Amino acid sequence: MVIHPLLEWIESTDLSTTIREGALPYPIIGGFHLLGIALFGGMILMTDLRLLGWAMQRRLVSDIVQQSRPWKRIGFVLVVATGLLLTWAEPLKLYRSPSFWVKMALLLLVGVHAMIFRRSVYANTAKLDEAITARAKWAAALSLVLWAGLIVSGRLIAFDA
Amino acid sequence: MMQASSIFDWLVTSPWANLMNGPEWAFPVVQSIHFIGFALSIGTVAIVDLRLLGIGMRRQTAAQLAADLAPWTVSGFAVMLITGFLMFSADAARYHVNPSFQFKMICLAAALLFHFTLHRKATGIPNSPLAAKLAGGVSLLLWTAVVAGGRMIAFV
Repeated sequence: MVIHPLLEWIESTDLSTTIREGALPYPIIGGFHLLGIALFGGMILMTDLRLLGWAMQRRLVSDIVQQSRPWKRIGFVLVVATGLLLTWAEPLKLYRSPSFWVKMALLLLVGVHAMIFRRSVYANTAKLDEAITARAKWAAALSLVLWAGLIVSGRLIAFDA
Repeated sequence: MMQASSIFDWLVTSPWANLMNGPEWAFPVVQSIHFIGFALSIGTVAIVDLRLLGIGMRRQTAAQLAADLAPWTVSGFAVMLITGFLMFSADAARYHVNPSFQFKMICLAAALLFHFTLHRKATGIPNSPLAAKLAGGVSLLLWTAVVAGGRMIAFV
């Protein structure tokens, strides 16, 4: 097996040891990971709810999608960067955690979701201002399910031991 | 008069605390719903804050955004407070002496108070850039402290 030596090497790096064993780095990085989820997961939530026709119905879809896009990108970078650091700190534990793999699978599906719906929904908001297509509603509903799943599986990692 | 510690002792033995301490999945599931609740509330507050700061969603006024988002913010608050109370009940005797928890509760009280008073007022005043920026900045700071304090509970 090549995986195990690689994970052991990661755990032996200074960066990994510092995050894992220091008193402050882990909770601070975890805190930023959560903040990223709160600030920017919230925007994704609002976009999805708008597409479903449940929230902010007085605002144009294009207004909401276009104006929240830069913040979602910043949030994505924040969540992924802090997530990578947290993973780097305990690769062996995560490798054994079923919840971690569920979370990674869902993350992959988020990427697939983006590829499937980007052109027809998220880059096509002028059309959606006239009428929200069934396809856009599907995109929003699936996005909500994926995000809820990401949060739940992420939280469950701590309980896999 | 009830002693301060006895109400926490009682909470730990309450039916909902038993539920929380029962099946293995109960706590993480409630905690996940807590996360979704604050993603909704703090996320929608942040949208208004960024507008107040003048760095996001500028095609709408802060008042328009606040009016549109208010029901979602308040629903998020409700989910967050109910699930938070359930988790607190599960181990109340220990949480209430945890310094990070105490810090979080003070920040939460301040954030909620600020949200429904000065913050609300600031979103209503047009052409008041300094007051608006101040309100947006303070709000973001308070909610950040709430999340950070919450994350630290497990580590102190």
